[in-house]
Amino acid sequence: MIPRAEDAHWLAAAVALFLGLVLIAELIVGREVFRRRAWRAYLFPAAVVVASVGLWVIVVFSTFSTMHLLAHAVWAQAALVAGAVELALVRGKLTSPRWSLVPGVALFVSGFAFLVHEPNPWLYSRSAFLHHAIGWMLVIVALFPLGEALRPRQLVWRTGFALTFVLLAVFLFADRDAAPIFGRFGLGGP
Amino acid sequence: MRRALAVLAVFAAALVAPGSAFAHVTLVSSEPVTQSRVDTPPSEIRLRFNGPVTITSNAVRVLAPDGTVLSGTPRTEDRGYVVVAPVSGLVDGQGYTVRWRVIGSDGHSPAGVFTFGVGIAAPPPTEAVGSSGTTWRDDVARWAFFGALALLIGPLVVRLLIIRNRPVPGPLEHRFHLLGVIASFLVIDVGIAAFILRASNALQLPIADLPYGDLQPFAEKTRFGIAFLVMTFGIGIVASLLLVAWVFDRLDLRWPALVLSLALLSGLSLSGHQATEPNSTWLSETADWLHLVAASIWVGGVATLAFLVWPLAPGLRRTTFLGFARLAAVLVAAMVLAGAYLALVRLPELSDLWETQYGRFLLLKAAIVGIALTWGAAHHFLVRPRLEAGDEPDVGPSLVGEAVVAFAVLLTAAILTNLAPPPIDSASSTIARTSR
Repeated sequence: MIPRAEDAHWLAAAVALFLGLVLIAELIVGREVFRRRAWRAYLFPAAVVVASVGLWVIVVFSTFSTMHLLAHAVWAQAALVAGAVELALVRGKLTSPRWSLVPGVALFVSGFAFLVHEPNPWLYSRSAFLHHAIGWMLVIVALFPLGEALRPRQLVWRTGFALTFVLLAVFLFADRDAAPIFGRFGLGGP
Repeated sequence: MRRALAVLAVFAAALVAPGSAFAHVTLVSSEPVTQSRVDTPPSEIRLRFNGPVTITSNAVRVLAPDGTVLSGTPRTEDRGYVVVAPVSGLVDGQGYTVRWRVIGSDGHSPAGVFTFGVGIAAPPPTEAVGSSGTTWRDDVARWAFFGALALLIGPLVVRLLIIRNRPVPGPLEHRFHLLGVIASFLVIDVGIAAFILRASNALQLPIADLPYGDLQPFAEKTRFGIAFLVMTFGIGIVASLLLVAWVFDRLDLRWPALVLSLALLSGLSLSGHQATEPNSTWLSETADWLHLVAASIWVGGVATLAFLVWPLAPGLRRTTFLGFARLAAVLVAAMVLAGAYLALVRLPELSDLWETQYGRFLLLKAAIVGIALTWGAAHHFLVRPRLEAGDEPDVGPSLVGEAVVAFAVLLTAAILTNLAPPPIDSASSTIARTSR
């Protein structure tokens, strides 16, 4: 009944890559040009909300351990709230720039959940390495939305936010729980 | 620059040449199958994992109903993917418990429990040897779950049915949205906590090891587990609908959220006493669902009146109060009729009311329901005529009191849900015989 975790992670990676490419496209052409067609403004937040529904499916398949059930439930809720707040910002339902902090909180909580549900040190296995790498990355990049709220004109925050999703996709595509950390170049591994 | 390039090279290397690998180590199959019935006693227990594992001498323990250990020293086979434990002394007509714990190649230490029966149906995993019964923590979790459901459903009913065509002040509409979303998240999170608590009573793992406890036998092989999975996913959809309804100001999106929430309540009816006891029927399941629906709308509705409409929308007080008073009459009738029928089904003898713990708690619940109904009746017969006459009585504090009593009713309902009803003597249960 349970799909392989690799398959689920690769699917999540594809979604993260899509999100990252949407954000990068907006960065390259500029927000004004990108949002000339109204639906494009809704693309990123709507995709996050839809992805959160997909995460609920993963939650249901995560009963093989208590920790994974909890971690996936945290990610699903964080994604849903962050996506809905982004949707509300795009629609003008929310206007305060402080709401931009919500994705930051979602990233921090998600990163924290990654770190908590990995009991092994960095170099134990590739899975452990990637869990630590993703966890710390999400915790650190939670500062980007904070930076954007404080200094909205500096592109570095949005660039960092967009690249976070691309890097997340790379990490998730690379996920093999029992593989050596660096593939055939091989350090570590069980 | 060189350091940055080196870091990038390391990340690129991580993508190269993945070895064959699977997920976190989990139990993928067993012989006997988890929660299965076998015709002849097995001579060994085989557990297959999705990755290689290492074991200790206590990795697999097979327990007789009296707690006697029937398994020998386990060994691994098939490159560590399979753990085999010899067993002896199993007899026909008994259920057995298998407790296992291994160390996966990913360093995690998954553990689990399941049962099987020889010549009989397997006992539920919650009744595995060594399991503790439900505790006050389960009661509190169940209470919070019922409360969250009421706070999800009640405000939706008030908004969609009672003040549907009325202009609603912005702050009140905002609270309706906020409460709906918070309540749906509460249902999910409290549901997860309640499910883990229930499973942990059977797993009996130290708190440090519980994070890697295998919940699959409970999630996939029990009614409450399947109900938990369906409800978690379903309420996730409800939360999404409510958030999108808020963003786009779409009242109509709250209808599917309400309908789905009410339908999901059936998960509780299909996994509780009214579905699992020997004399359960489709009628007892339906009555339980109606009881739950009516109670959720009533408790949530009173709370909505007390904490949302009364303080935030004075202009809507009369309309909401009168509309809810009409609806409450139907709800109370449904609750009392369905509840009385269920009490007759669950308690085969009148004396069970005072001689069993279940019966005594049922009496307590009936007493608190009586207080709540008296309070509601006072509102119905004393306040409603004044409101209809154009007065503006300040019944806010009184509504808060009724809401508090209503939540106390939910507490007794939660305790009753976790208590075992008296055993059914098939000859004495008239209701059961006639409704089967």
